[in-house]
This record gives sequence, C-alpha cells and structure tokens, in this order.
Amino acid sequence: MQLHPRYFGRNLRDNLVSKLMKDVEGTCSGRHGFVVAVTGIENIGKGLIRDGTGFVTFPVKYQCVVFRPFKGEILEAVVTMVNKMGFFAEAGPVQIFVSNHLIPDDMEFQSGDMPNYTTSDGSVKIQKDSEVRLKIIGTRVDATEIFCIGTIKDDFLGVINDPTTV
Amino acid sequence: MSGEEEENAAELKIGDEFLKAKCLMNCEVSLILEHKYEQLQQSSDDAVNQVSQVFEKSLQYVKRFSRYKNPDAVRQVREILARYQLAEFELCVLGNLCPETVEEAIAMVPSIKTRGRAQDDEAIEKMLNDLSLIKKFE
Repeated sequence: MQLHPRYFGRNLRDNLVSKLMKDVEGTCSGRHGFVVAVTGIENIGKGLIRDGTGFVTFPVKYQCVVFRPFKGEILEAVVTMVNKMGFFAEAGPVQIFVSNHLIPDDMEFQSGDMPNYTTSDGSVKIQKDSEVRLKIIGTRVDATEIFCIGTIKDDFLGVINDPTTV
Repeated sequence: MSGEEEENAAELKIGDEFLKAKCLMNCEVSLILEHKYEQLQQSSDDAVNQVSQVFEKSLQYVKRFSRYKNPDAVRQVREILARYQLAEFELCVLGNLCPETVEEAIAMVPSIKTRGRAQDDEAIEKMLNDLSLIKKFE
C-alpha cells in the first residue's frame, strides 16, 4: 500500500487501513475472485520510502472474504433479465448467463410485459426475480468483474421451490 | 493461474489455495457482512455510503440465500458437517443448498462419492437428516 506523506502522523495506521479497504474492497482478480470485505489486518510491515517521491510503501497482510465462482460449481442465483436468447442471473457480484440451449426443452420463451420461460403445463416459470439453482460451466474474468455461463439442464437444477410458499 | 483449464468443482479441482482456505457458507458470510455494516454505520454516516457495490450485492445475496438465520443454528450446521471428513468447499455447498435426498446431495457435490473416501449412502443420509432437524427447530 502506498501512502502520501500528508497521511503521516498519529493516524497513520488508521489512514493505511481505510485506504486499504477503499482500494481493495470491490476489486476482482482471476485468482481470488471478488474481494467482498476486509475482515482483519494481520500485520503491517515497515514502510519503505520510494526514491524520488515522498511516498512510502507499506507491506500489509490482511484477511478478507472473497467470492470466487468455480467451473462445475452449483449455486443459487436471482434472475435479472429474460430474453429469447436465454436469461441473466446474479449471484452477489457475479453475473451468470444461461443460454436457451441449456434450458430444458420443455420450457418455452414467452414474450410480453414480463418475459419468461414456462413449461408447457405452466407449472414452472422462470422470470425476473425468480430464484434458480444453476451449474456454472464456464467463467471469464476481465478487469472489473467475473462473468459466468451456466446451465439448468441437469438433475436438481432450475427454479427453487420454496416449501413455505408451495 | 496454473491448472485453470482443468478447474472443475465437481471433482474438487479448485486449486491448492482454495483447497486450503477456509470456506464460508452463505449464512456465515451473512453474519460477517452484517456485523461489518453495523460497524460502519456506527463509525460515521458517510462510511455507509461508501461501501462498494460488490459489498452491497454480496450482502443482499447472502441474506436472501441463507438457509439458517440464527447464529447458533449456523454453528451447529458447521459442527455437524465437520464430522464427515468433507473438504471445506464440499461442506459449504451442502450447507448452502441443503439437499433433501442422498441422490440430490451427490448431484450437487459429486466429489463426495468420487474422492475415495467412500462416504456411503447411509452416512450421507444421516448427515442430511441431522441438517434438516436443525432447520425445523431453528
């Protein structure tokens, strides 16, 4: 962590910690996924003054909660958009797309005010805000987010039926 | 990022770092993030507006998909699952999805059957029964 001299003084440690949180929370990498929250500082090492500038670099060891989706993992998500290509869902900060090829054949797209996928007997419907269980079959990481492809075509996947509402 | 091509959660191929790391279930993350959010609220009004979108979305997600709300229940779930020689990752997927049958559990976490620890069906069934008892009495 690099710190400008204006932050030196009594509150150096606090400034370092809050800068760490601001810089690191919310970022994502291919290796660790999204950093959701810093939960603790383990150690702050001695600062090293950079040649030519007044900045000081501190090595900081910290603990944090990360969210990292894996290929082959099964998890639950909320549907955010439905169209004839398939539907988009979100699991926390991660976006997942399920193509219509990976939606069971007995579900058909219905356009309208609330586009959805419905089974022929109307018993199961997937629309915005539905909760679905899906399997991740691919992940792609770019600078600011992780994007996944999923399927609901396997056993035990699809809309989650909450027993309390059935 | 070695082994990225072979990554496969179904076979528990998730990389050394994550195999050794502590895995958290949604309900545990919910307790952690809520606690942090309360701390931020107490420290200054401004801090609450500065939480990243990632934090907000994650908090909403884990709150919505936590099967167990009560901290004691959450602790019991972890204790029960810990008795069964599961990897952290497997433990959390089971705690998050709460499969009702042995068949479902194996479909959700295929690695419990394939990694040579030979979890027999009876053991898996007992584990699922114990989990559903906690939910009933939460």
